[in-house]
Amino acid sequence: MTIYSVSTLISIVFLLIILELVRRQRLREQYSLLWIAFGVLLFIISFNVALLERFAMWLDVKYAPALLFLFGLLFCFALILHLTLVITKLSNQVLRLTQEITLMKGQEQQHEQND
Amino acid sequence: MKVLVIIPAYNEERSIGQVIADIKQYTPEVDIVVVNDGSTDATEAAAKQAGAEVLTLPFNVGIGGGMQTGYLYAKQHEYDVAVQMDADGQHPAEELPKLLAAMNEADLVIGSRYVEESSYRSSKMRRIGMIFFSKLVSMLTKEKFTDTTSGFRAANRKVIDCYARYYPMDYPEVESIVYLKRNGCRVVEVGTEMRERQSGKSSITPIRSAYYMIKVTLAVMMCALRYREVRPNT
Repeated sequence: MTIYSVSTLISIVFLLIILELVRRQRLREQYSLLWIAFGVLLFIISFNVALLERFAMWLDVKYAPALLFLFGLLFCFALILHLTLVITKLSNQVLRLTQEITLMKGQEQQHEQND
Repeated sequence: MKVLVIIPAYNEERSIGQVIADIKQYTPEVDIVVVNDGSTDATEAAAKQAGAEVLTLPFNVGIGGGMQTGYLYAKQHEYDVAVQMDADGQHPAEELPKLLAAMNEADLVIGSRYVEESSYRSSKMRRIGMIFFSKLVSMLTKEKFTDTTSGFRAANRKVIDCYARYYPMDYPEVESIVYLKRNGCRVVEVGTEMRERQSGKSSITPIRSAYYMIKVTLAVMMCALRYREVRPNT
């Protein structure tokens, strides 16, 4: 078995797992798109060896499968960046919710005192 | 003029009562709200006992988030002026009228330790950091500021609105000046006395100061680079 067939297999299993997670609503469609795109890309590259080798030749990479790692790594960086964007947004939202709840609690207490 | 004093407090049970009592003594007409930022001690009880309104956050959100809660409260209750003061007793209540008196010439009035000769003394490193930020902010805003890290400030409605929309999260003092200048607010400094903190320890360690310097510098530069209004916190 070559690295190409192994990675073809991996990419198929990977895609199935992603789709299953979306079906079970464990993963939001919104976030799954990135993963699906990655899975499809991985599949195309692994399946179409000639494509990868042509790429490698253009880029003057001696060992074609190294390109797979490069793509994988770049994707990981992109995904992590995406995650930190999501975290930033979420923490802003959590903060605002915390503040609103605090203000509401304060108002409630004031009403109780006035009653 | 409806005035609110915002005091963010995190584990300040020992000094908060005195701070509130001082404010009530020197400026009895103002309302006081303590933003209790998830304290684990008796800050809430102490502040209530001293007669302040207390807003208790369910967990610690940090100084920026806490301060903004105070500004949201000021906006909600339509205060004309919101004054922010530290809970550790650094900002003397007898200087409060000075800030309020300057409100008609600016949107934000900052109590500065360095405009006039004041008795305030601090460590050398701290002085260097403060001078650095003053120069940085003065350069970016093309206006002279002497005490950009001072947390003793009075804000009018325009500023309250700006801060309710966006307030920097940690170490907010310096960036919040540049942010206001970007939004076309007038900011002035008046000389005020400040005391040594009455209780508690400064949270500054060498690593934290390095982080502080880098983070604030980055935040200030980014804030200056933003052409339009800053994206709201939500």
